[in-house]
Amino acid sequence: MDPQHFISSGIIELYIAGMASDEEIRELEAAMAQYPAVAEEVEAYRRSMEEYIRLQGKNPETDIKTRLFTQINNEPNLQEGEPVPDQDLQQPKVVSMQETKSLSWKWLATAAAVLLVGSLVLNYVFFNRYKEFKEYKDKYQSLLVSQNSILSKSNLYKTRLEQMQESMEIIQDPKVLKVPMPGTKAFPEALATVFWNPQSQEVYLKVNKLPEPTADKQYQLWAIVDGKPVDMGVFEMGDTASLLQKMKVTGKAQMFAVTLEKKGGALQPTMEQMYVAGKIPG
Amino acid sequence: MQYAATYTEAELVQGLKARDQKIFSYLYDQYSPALYGVIVKVLNDDSSAGDVLQDVFMKIWRHLDRYDETKGRLFTWMLNIARNTAIDILRSKSHKMEQKIRNMPDDVHVVDSLIAVQPSTDYLGFSRILEKLTKEQRTLIDLAYYKGCTQEEIARVMDIPLGTVKTRMRNAINQLRTILNK
Repeated sequence: MDPQHFISSGIIELYIAGMASDEEIRELEAAMAQYPAVAEEVEAYRRSMEEYIRLQGKNPETDIKTRLFTQINNEPNLQEGEPVPDQDLQQPKVVSMQETKSLSWKWLATAAAVLLVGSLVLNYVFFNRYKEFKEYKDKYQSLLVSQNSILSKSNLYKTRLEQMQESMEIIQDPKVLKVPMPGTKAFPEALATVFWNPQSQEVYLKVNKLPEPTADKQYQLWAIVDGKPVDMGVFEMGDTASLLQKMKVTGKAQMFAVTLEKKGGALQPTMEQMYVAGKIPG
Repeated sequence: MQYAATYTEAELVQGLKARDQKIFSYLYDQYSPALYGVIVKVLNDDSSAGDVLQDVFMKIWRHLDRYDETKGRLFTWMLNIARNTAIDILRSKSHKMEQKIRNMPDDVHVVDSLIAVQPSTDYLGFSRILEKLTKEQRTLIDLAYYKGCTQEEIARVMDIPLGTVKTRMRNAINQLRTILNK
């Protein structure tokens, strides 16, 4: 279309009234860019339309200006305007709610981006803390384990020490008689000692050297009272053998002896299995 | 209403793009009556028009960077923002255009009063000049410009054949131009 045709087609009038179709708008704007005469004609119509609008102007309430400037001065990111759809610039046409939507959308997107970045930073920080924490936790747990084992060992030593202390006290007690029991002819290597307090009637046994018995057998201590054997109880071997073991009580005895019996002890000593025996001195 | 009394348009645009609040204040003083007039005419609602005007000037302030002086005058650009904003509100609210139009009586003069195109006394400078337009011509222009009506809607509201809407609109705009462009 040549410029004159555009001017007389009537499209310009419809365009100015805001009633042209999208296609007519595109054609006219292309013609305006191409032909200054068309652009001038549109401008002349536009000025008359704008004068018509201006003549119907109305003074707004004065406080609106105050509110506007308050809002402007509280406005962040002034340089970042939301995009105005292009038709806002030139085209007197109805636009959809898109512009106001894009406004809130943009704010939301900005807020979301800020939150995302913040979250990533915090994730990084917390992940590092978590890693550190996990290291510490592992260290703590291994420390706890070793502390427990030290503690149990220490308890063991403490118990041992107390037992030794107890043993020492018994041995050192002047009222306690020490009765060494050397090995018999059949077991010359064997040796054991009885510590006897005739006053309190307490009897303790210390294994010096006795062969470890089989699982179904146990050593038994006897006191010989007026020629008759009296059961003084069975005793443990192994670790316990290094300690003084408390036996049954007796107020009277001329001799002590140890025999190997079935587990739990026997009523009468098996003489062939007598390992050690010793007379009370004096 | 000579807005360029103090600043030329180029100076105005330059000052605004530099975020000069003094210039923006001047812009407001010069243009707010025209823009407010558009909003009031579109919405027919004085109570919300003030908030919309504030919103429109916020948009102008925020979007100044996007104003391209090679594409048109500042006033044209601002008018379009005001009109589009107000029409969006008109269409999005309970203002269902279709419904409104369907419920409208056929009588042009009643329609005229419903759409409030008649001048009130507080319109600035609304003079005898405009009385040179017929009532029908003003209704046509106002429905198209202020209400964003389509040709079909105008034909229905004014009860005139669709084919004559374009012709009568052309005549109205031409008459407007004859009256106002001296």
